[in-house]
Amino acid sequence: MKLAGIKSVENAHDESIWTAAWAPATETRSALLLTGSLDETVRFWSSDELNQVGTPSGGHALGVVAVAAHPAGFLAASASLDSFIRVFDIDSNSTIVTLEAPPSEVWGMQFDPKGTVLAVAGGGSASVKLWDTSSWQLVATLAVPPPEGSRPADKTGSGKFVLSVAWSPDGRRLACGSMDGTIAVFDVARAKFLHHLDGHYMPVRSMVYSPVDPHVLFTACDDTHVHMYDAERKGMIGAMSGHTSWVLSVDASPDGAAIATGSSDRTVRLWDLSMRASVQTMSNHTDQVWSVAFRPPSGTGLRLGRLASVSDDKSISLYDYS
Amino acid sequence: MASVYIPVQNSEEEVRVALDQLPRDASDILDILKAEQAPLDLWLVIAREYFKQGKVEQFRQILEEGSSPEIDEYYADVKYERIAILNALGAYHTYLGKIETNRREKEEHFAAATDYYNRAARIDPYEPSTWIGKGQLCVARGDLSKASDNFKIVLDTDPNSVPALVAKACIEFNNGENEDQYKKASESYKSSLELFKKALQIYPGCPAAVRLGIGLCRYRLGQFEKARQAFQRVLQLDPENVEALVALGIMDLQSSEVHGIWKGTEKMQRAFEIYPYCAMALNYLANHFFFTGQHFLVEQLTETALAVSNHKLMKAHSYYNLARSYHSKGDFDKAARYYMASVKEINRPQDFVLPYYGLGQVQLKLGDLRSALSSFEKVLEIHPENCDSLKAVGHIYVQLGQNDKALETFRKAARIDPKDAQAFMELGELLTSSDAVAALDALKTARTLIKKGGEEVPVELLNNIGVLYFERGEFEFAEQTFKEALGEGIWLSLLDGQNSVMDPSAYSVLYKDFTLFHQLEENGTALDLPWDKVTTMFNYARLFEQLHDTEKASILYRLILFKYPEYIDAYLRLAAMAKARNNIQLSIELIGEALKIDDKCPNALSMLGNLELKSDDWVKAKDTFRAAKDATDGKDSYATLCLGNWNYYAAMRSEKRGPKLEATHLEKAKELYTKVLMLRHGNLYAANGAGIVLAEKGQFDVSKDIFTQVQEAASGSIFVQMPDVWINLAHVYFAQGHFALAVKMYQNCLRKFYFNTDTQVLLYLARTHYEAEQWQECKKTLLRAIHLAPSNYTLRFDAGVAMQKFSASTLQKTKRTADEVRSTVTELKNAVRVFSQLSAACSSHAHGFDEKKIETHVGYCKHLLDAAKVHCEAAERDEQQNRQKLELARQVSLAEEARRKAEEQRKFQIERRRQEADLKQAIQQEEHFERVKELWKSSSNTSGNKRRDRDRTLGDDSEGGHGDRKRRKGSGKRRRKDKKSSRYEYEEEGEMEDEHEKAEEDDAHANDQDDDGAVRTQDQLMAAGLEDSDAEDDMAPSNRKRRAWSSDEDDDEPSGRHHDLSPAGRKEDSAGSDPDDARDTEMRDEMHEPNMGAGDEDDN
Repeated sequence: MKLAGIKSVENAHDESIWTAAWAPATETRSALLLTGSLDETVRFWSSDELNQVGTPSGGHALGVVAVAAHPAGFLAASASLDSFIRVFDIDSNSTIVTLEAPPSEVWGMQFDPKGTVLAVAGGGSASVKLWDTSSWQLVATLAVPPPEGSRPADKTGSGKFVLSVAWSPDGRRLACGSMDGTIAVFDVARAKFLHHLDGHYMPVRSMVYSPVDPHVLFTACDDTHVHMYDAERKGMIGAMSGHTSWVLSVDASPDGAAIATGSSDRTVRLWDLSMRASVQTMSNHTDQVWSVAFRPPSGTGLRLGRLASVSDDKSISLYDYS
Repeated sequence: MASVYIPVQNSEEEVRVALDQLPRDASDILDILKAEQAPLDLWLVIAREYFKQGKVEQFRQILEEGSSPEIDEYYADVKYERIAILNALGAYHTYLGKIETNRREKEEHFAAATDYYNRAARIDPYEPSTWIGKGQLCVARGDLSKASDNFKIVLDTDPNSVPALVAKACIEFNNGENEDQYKKASESYKSSLELFKKALQIYPGCPAAVRLGIGLCRYRLGQFEKARQAFQRVLQLDPENVEALVALGIMDLQSSEVHGIWKGTEKMQRAFEIYPYCAMALNYLANHFFFTGQHFLVEQLTETALAVSNHKLMKAHSYYNLARSYHSKGDFDKAARYYMASVKEINRPQDFVLPYYGLGQVQLKLGDLRSALSSFEKVLEIHPENCDSLKAVGHIYVQLGQNDKALETFRKAARIDPKDAQAFMELGELLTSSDAVAALDALKTARTLIKKGGEEVPVELLNNIGVLYFERGEFEFAEQTFKEALGEGIWLSLLDGQNSVMDPSAYSVLYKDFTLFHQLEENGTALDLPWDKVTTMFNYARLFEQLHDTEKASILYRLILFKYPEYIDAYLRLAAMAKARNNIQLSIELIGEALKIDDKCPNALSMLGNLELKSDDWVKAKDTFRAAKDATDGKDSYATLCLGNWNYYAAMRSEKRGPKLEATHLEKAKELYTKVLMLRHGNLYAANGAGIVLAEKGQFDVSKDIFTQVQEAASGSIFVQMPDVWINLAHVYFAQGHFALAVKMYQNCLRKFYFNTDTQVLLYLARTHYEAEQWQECKKTLLRAIHLAPSNYTLRFDAGVAMQKFSASTLQKTKRTADEVRSTVTELKNAVRVFSQLSAACSSHAHGFDEKKIETHVGYCKHLLDAAKVHCEAAERDEQQNRQKLELARQVSLAEEARRKAEEQRKFQIERRRQEADLKQAIQQEEHFERVKELWKSSSNTSGNKRRDRDRTLGDDSEGGHGDRKRRKGSGKRRRKDKKSSRYEYEEEGEMEDEHEKAEEDDAHANDQDDDGAVRTQDQLMAAGLEDSDAEDDMAPSNRKRRAWSSDEDDDEPSGRHHDLSPAGRKEDSAGSDPDDARDTEMRDEMHEPNMGAGDEDDN
């Protein structure tokens, strides 16, 4: 299990790159990497060559904080600090709809595995908003209740501040992570809050379910740790430490054997889940690595593992994962 | 059988006297001698025979009779025999005197001997034998030089006098023995040797003693082979010669070979059998039995030796043997007594230095360092290169705290014997505090030597090497070394991650969860952790922490605590780790555990104080710090420092900012910092704190110096992380208006210490950009900060203000392009969006903003937006016009050209001039355009333009027809609020009387801001740094182990708080301000928390 650098693009954006996501391959083209940046654009990159495809897509203000691609590969959503979500057609780069749910701002976003719902972390609204992807109507607001048990009073006074969301591979569960480290798990079908997962006390900026086990959730936290939870039974399976600074992003490899993390410490780490240890550290970035993403294994003949990372240093790196 | 024949007077007959049948009563013989008037030589023969048979009384009786006055008279002409008799008596008394121990009687004997010799001399002053006798008397009395004179007289008259030669040789030999200087001594031995040789040549049949003398001389001269031959010859002549046996025995023993020692011992035994009272043989035998461990024999032999000898050196040897025997049996008191006795017998330490060494050892053992030191120094006087003594002396210096001397000593020892692992080890340990590189080298050498010697490297040594690697940041080596030190053990499998599932529900208390170990024990796995490995294990865990492998670190700490629940430092580290992960509750609980073990532990108390500060428990924190300080009698600079920081925060935080209270707290803080500095001149955190207080008082130059020095000092160690001093330096630059420098400093600090993740520093950076009117940078910086801290709405507000400011300043320019104006419009829309969102968020959360205030901003931005739209149109119109003008000019010139072509031939010269003029005009216009652009750019960089620009904007506004609210250009009213003195607050409070309606709102808002600021203050006040829980090894079981990171302890203490923001609280007397200005001020409030962060926590 290892990563090997394939290609890097310096100055891929004019400013820090904050987010990245893979749009799965469609019948007409292979998978594309979508990146969003402080320079207020979302750009598209062909895989392996990392050539820019199409024109940068504008329509954002104040920096793009999240992009999410629809599992079918045609659609994508991007969100910026101005709290608008722009849903657009990837190939034509035309805006389909602009969503907002004031006063909630927008942080993490994720389409459910079937592509029928877009879940959006609602920041200070302490809730996750669910949008129907056919009508583009707000279908549900999952509010995060205060955690049970005593915990030092929150001094920001803003309650839960929801930062990140993750869908379980079967689409039945949704987890959301917040500023103070609590993770809430919801039963989506019943729109019901199930429980909290304890262990983090700092912002959880990224989460991902294992693609092979719908119980297992990986969380990346500012406390420099990656936790591995049994999200169903409210248990913690393990904690992995090694990063020197905040862990900003986590993604699970399609085979479920590894996870990759990006950190403020400027590195990308690969973790072998059987050993629960970091097996490789890539230090090619020169600033915080805001996002890491494994390419989905869709399409024909494209079974090769690929991992992309984007960073504050304005560069994109692509690695071979094998 | 030999007989003498006494001639019968006046006859031819003789009386035969069988020498072995001398009558018991000497009077019988005397009667015959007298009666027959026997020749005096017969008297002598008979007397000598009695002497030989041990009948001393009869011997004396005959000789005394033979030297009586009647005999003198009767035999007046028989000189030689009379002299011989007198000399014999003299020699006899000399001998008696020599062996007599009673001083008075001794003198009497010597006096008698003198008397006899004098009588003999009166008979014949030149008789050599008399002189020899006198000489021997002098020897017996110890007057060697006089004796030598006497013998010389003999030799002058008869150079071949064997007795004189031998006697003189003996004297020379003794001279040699007593001579300190080697050269002179060997001169003496040489002349002694010559004399012995001569005696042997003259009289080859002389007694074995002469050859013995030769042997001794040669031995002393280092000619061991020849000496050996001489001794062997003695033994051939006299197989029972004890001296020769002993001498040969010594030589055998000194061969240091098993065979030699065996032979030597055998010879000693024979000598002992021949003559059980030879002290030398006794001593050597005792020595032998000491090594074979037969202490009982040692004591017996040495006691005998002591009884039979009064030779000082011999006694010293005997006492030494005895002392050594007790020493090895562990009876140090007795050993010390006998060593002392031995030392007392020694006149010159160079003769026999071993007892000094033994004495030193015993004194060391008994804790009498000073005496031990002088004993070892005695040894070193004689053997300056003796490594064992050097090491002992070094060790004593260490215990006496004289590290420099100790260092010197161990260096010397290591130089003398580069194979002495012990010396290198000690050297390394000593150097650790002063010169880590040299220390590491020394320890590594020691390790190599020990390994070469095939021995097992001690855990302590490996531990120390590991720590040194650790401190130098060579973590891989450190890890290898610690692993080697720990060896095999349960920890290996624990670290392997094979420990499988932990109870998932227990994770929130993970750091104090021992179920894992209980389970293992229940499963029959033995959890052994030898005590000598605890320290290493702790260090190993620290290493994991440093490598950010906190999970492994936590397992090791917990294992330590499981086996050794008293190990406070492990609790502290676990607490620090919990704190780093923001799990304050758990951290406090762990500290509680530590305090249960020792409620006075200053480290635990300090850390608890910090935690309390972090959870905003001010009063408690102060008490805790006080307790910590008291627990160390104020000697612990960390606790003092914390109190200093506490006072500083207190000065900065109070919402009301009573100037008096502030001054009091600042003064107190300064006092505490100064106290720490007095205690430890090198305390960076205290220096930093002092710099802050100075800066607080506006003495920027001094504080800048201090910060710069601290910064330099801090850059030397991987364990000292002082981002705060960078921030403080940047603050000073900022306060002095060096914005570019401040920006650089903030950026470097962010990058170097925070991985660009600290929003507070980003805020400072944005603030600096703002002051420098670099609006775009300011905005970008704030957006990054928002991205890092999404829940900090204040940052959004600031970003909104930055955009608003940018737009306003662009619009204020007299000339701008349509593009610029268009981007301004965009920014304004964004600003409106941001403010509207904030306003909306206000309704759902209480994050400290006054809704109305935001509304005001929204309104203002919208207003600007409208204005901008007009501007935009105007600019576009201008642009259009410009283009049209250019087009026109071009058309004109085209027309001209057409005309020119028509009239080309005719008006060539004139036309050309005209054409040039037209072109020039066009160019000028363009140039003008460029210039204006330049002007815009530059104006945004010069702060001096700011006010003017703003005024102009307002003017523009009015012109633009939106000036329904008239603004006075009230720049004159702005003033610096110097009385606020806060170094960083350049608030210019503009007062615009016109804006009465706004005044109220502003006021209200200002208050809100205050509250907000305060809230954040508390939030971010991560109090005084940290736990310096690094003081660890105090409890290390062996005094060998040094405290692992003692430097940590001293330097790491964090002092200060992180960024304390002094609450932007200002009770403005805002008599209302121009909205623009008001916003300015708010912006500053937001961005500008004066913060000098002092030391951060470094739970490194």
